[in-house]
Amino acid sequence: MRETFFKLPRQWFAAWLARRLPPVQSIRLQQQHIFIVPTRTGIAYAAALLLMLLVAINYQNSLAYALTFLLASLGLLTMFHTWRNLAGLTLSAAGSSPCFAGEYGNYRLRLHSAKNAYQAIAVGWHAKQLTLVDVEQQSEQLLELSLLGKQRGWQHAPRLRIETRFPLGLFVAWSQIDLAQSILVYPQPLHDVDLLVSGQGDENDAEQASPSAGVDDYQGLAAWQEGDSLRRIHWKAWSKGQGLLVKQFTEQQGQQQVLDFTQVPGDLEFRLSVLCAQVLKISQTDQPYSLLLPHQELGPDSGVEHRQRCLRALALYGVEQP
Amino acid sequence: MTTAAQVRDDIPRISLMWLLIAQALVIIPHLLHVPLWLIGVWLGCAAWRVQVFRMRWPFPNAWVKAALMIGSGFAVYLSRGGLVGLDAAVALLITAFILKLLEVRTRRDALVLIFLGFFTVVTSYLFADSLLAALYSLLPVLALLAALVGLQQSGFAREPLAPLKLASKLLAQAIPLMLLLFVLFPRLEPLWSLPQPKDKGTTGLSSSMTPGDLAELGQSAALAFRARFDGAIPAQSQLYWRALTLPNFDGRSWSISERFERSEPQWQAQGESISYSIIMQPSTQPWLFSLDVGSSEQEDIRLMSDFRLQRRTPVNRTYQYQATSWPQALRQPQLNQRQQQEFLQLPRTGNQQTRDWAQRLRGQYHDDDALVSALLRHFNQELYHYTLKPPLLGRDSVDEFLFSSLRGFCAHYAGAMVFTLRAAGIPARVVAGYQGGEINQAGQFVQVRQFDAHAWVEYWQRGQGWRSVDPTFEVAPERIERGLQEALQDESELFQGDIFSPLRYQHIAWVNQLRMSWENLNHSWQTKILGYQRDSQQAWLKQWFGKVDWQVLGLTLVASAALIIALIVLWMFKPWQRQTDPVQRVLNHFQRVLRRRGFKRETGEGLRDFYQRIHQQLPQSQQQAVRVFIETYEQQQYAEQGQDLATLRRALAQVKK
Repeated sequence: MRETFFKLPRQWFAAWLARRLPPVQSIRLQQQHIFIVPTRTGIAYAAALLLMLLVAINYQNSLAYALTFLLASLGLLTMFHTWRNLAGLTLSAAGSSPCFAGEYGNYRLRLHSAKNAYQAIAVGWHAKQLTLVDVEQQSEQLLELSLLGKQRGWQHAPRLRIETRFPLGLFVAWSQIDLAQSILVYPQPLHDVDLLVSGQGDENDAEQASPSAGVDDYQGLAAWQEGDSLRRIHWKAWSKGQGLLVKQFTEQQGQQQVLDFTQVPGDLEFRLSVLCAQVLKISQTDQPYSLLLPHQELGPDSGVEHRQRCLRALALYGVEQP
Repeated sequence: MTTAAQVRDDIPRISLMWLLIAQALVIIPHLLHVPLWLIGVWLGCAAWRVQVFRMRWPFPNAWVKAALMIGSGFAVYLSRGGLVGLDAAVALLITAFILKLLEVRTRRDALVLIFLGFFTVVTSYLFADSLLAALYSLLPVLALLAALVGLQQSGFAREPLAPLKLASKLLAQAIPLMLLLFVLFPRLEPLWSLPQPKDKGTTGLSSSMTPGDLAELGQSAALAFRARFDGAIPAQSQLYWRALTLPNFDGRSWSISERFERSEPQWQAQGESISYSIIMQPSTQPWLFSLDVGSSEQEDIRLMSDFRLQRRTPVNRTYQYQATSWPQALRQPQLNQRQQQEFLQLPRTGNQQTRDWAQRLRGQYHDDDALVSALLRHFNQELYHYTLKPPLLGRDSVDEFLFSSLRGFCAHYAGAMVFTLRAAGIPARVVAGYQGGEINQAGQFVQVRQFDAHAWVEYWQRGQGWRSVDPTFEVAPERIERGLQEALQDESELFQGDIFSPLRYQHIAWVNQLRMSWENLNHSWQTKILGYQRDSQQAWLKQWFGKVDWQVLGLTLVASAALIIALIVLWMFKPWQRQTDPVQRVLNHFQRVLRRRGFKRETGEGLRDFYQRIHQQLPQSQQQAVRVFIETYEQQQYAEQGQDLATLRRALAQVKK
């Protein structure tokens, strides 16, 4: 009930915020970015002051008046202190590390102070889950936030909430910033399915799995050398300006393994998940492997970089680049 | 780094420390009037909370808390005789403030405790509003603010003194705005009546007087009131401050009359008048002090039938009023039979010796004035002695005093004289009040203390009205001319037991000087600060704004508040310092140059993004220059190496080509 009741205003607010604070990679928080409202503590403080004012009026006590006014002035001034504790702070995106869908990736954020020190700055995705950090004057603070990878591909990071209640907690100055950052989400690996690697050891399984088995296994691409068959030239790569490459096929003799998209049953996401798990599994050994996706061939190769290329290809398969 | 959600509920150590300190500071001024056992409860609770913090003890469970709460409530009920009234309410408030400590687990509890603390500080003003009390109260307020700052989880708030420093800074910044509000915020009439503080310790005149009472007051150096004269201060012997008359005598004590009080007496102003303002300490009584015959234009003050000034309600806190007196006024030239009877009333029996003596005098002097003179002469010439330590008197107290002990305080002389006059058929009454006072030269005011309490005599004659005489003057003229201390120099017991009383050291010039300055400061405090209520606010505003127009005042208040805030904010942000970063200035210059060529960098657009966006539209020669500038700038901005402005400027010069 509450959810639906607030849904429409929330949408309006999001749209308004998008207009007012468009995505940027780096932002120095200024007047137009910062909103300030009293907190619940602030309202309780005001109520306590009202009570004190009533005592002052009813007892006609000058000192009670004076203290009430002193605290009221002080409370009002903390509004500016709170505001200043956010104004001028520079936020910039500092990259992110990829993650698997369903897991948390790291989102890096740089807080930079040109002049003032900033105390108790709370940053996070949600008002109820913020990370506190202090930024010394003229210094930088690197912050890592974890972000849940939901779906493979480039996941646009939501608006970042940054707020502060310093010094007295009577007001909260906040902003919601879109740092135009995306986090790369790999497919969720499916470890239990282990039937699809075509390679020497798994020949029977491979036969079973893929009716088109029998063709020599595709190994990857190599630079064209004289003597290579023209039929093996990878024309697509050539048309992209990658030079002349030839497709190489294993003769099923080495430790070489091929992860072939077409050999995995099931729907697209299932296939990608299975392949993802396989990439992870094989890359733990030092064996070279290659990944075959429709219109895309990676490897054979080994090592961390190759693994990441493969995972990236899996993550972005069929997904538009941001 | 900590997650806010985790810490939002814990109380940081620093905050708890300041909370404990603040609590002690808040409670200390209340110790004078809360029941003593509360101190024990407080120490116990504080120790328990500290042990909880050190993880030695658990928090009390619900049963223990309930038992403590009910037990304390009951104890307050027992020691305060009820739960109604300000004393009990404040005792309960402090009990709650103490017991809450055992419950403080979360930030929210700490907030409740802090707000409760502010409120408790306010209630302490109802009991003590001196300058020192006000200054002291800044300490608990600061500690409470420090606790509030400490609740903010920040590395900054982890140093013990940092929250206090910040709190002091905030407090100092708030002062200008506070003063503005204090002066301009309209003082309202009380919205409803509340129980007033009971000052059990108040000394002062009471509605009946046994001779010993005033002698007891003579021991007290407590302040009764201060008077500031519009003109010159009259001679000390003229300062007879009337408080009330005591026409009824029951053989032992003199007391006020309940009759005729409401009607204003007949009187005619004669001679010159004296105007003065008086600031009275709380007396819990409605009567005020004035020179004869006093009148005041204040609404709530009226002249009673015995020429005393009385306020509608008792004076329960410091009270200021303005009065004018006509010392030579003719007072009540006519009295009807019944009124005369009242001032001739004597007990049926007792003090026969005095009655006989009065008859003898009556026989001797037919003229009333002559008889009064003879009586005064008698006091002057016989061996009467003025003392604060008169012997105890028996049943026929007047007889004993007049004919055997011959030692007494002003009340003895006044009482005996009125008795004699009445026995001789002359209507007379005892007047109680204060005589003299200490003149503060620095502040031009007279300070009257309880030991200046005095009693004198008024007698009535047809056509002449009431006349005042003072038998004490005949016995100890120095009492009237120079004050009690002078008159009682032999009685070294005066102020005995109070070696810290500065009054003891009046003969040391600088101590006396210091004391006078302090009294002067207190006087200003009382008139200017404590006395700043509805009347004085309106008078003051009239002086400044011509007339009191709340609309104008409201606008003035808002405008001045805005101005003050603007100044403070300007001082906080120091915008004139913003452009001092030279690298930033060069960057601004760079952006201006490109803007002139039609390339505007959007707000928040990264420099590299900017370059990516525009580089293809730039002429070939420019592309290089712009890229070099941006790279140089970024190096300067983020690299560890110091700023090399010259290189950056050279890069800019290339762009400008």
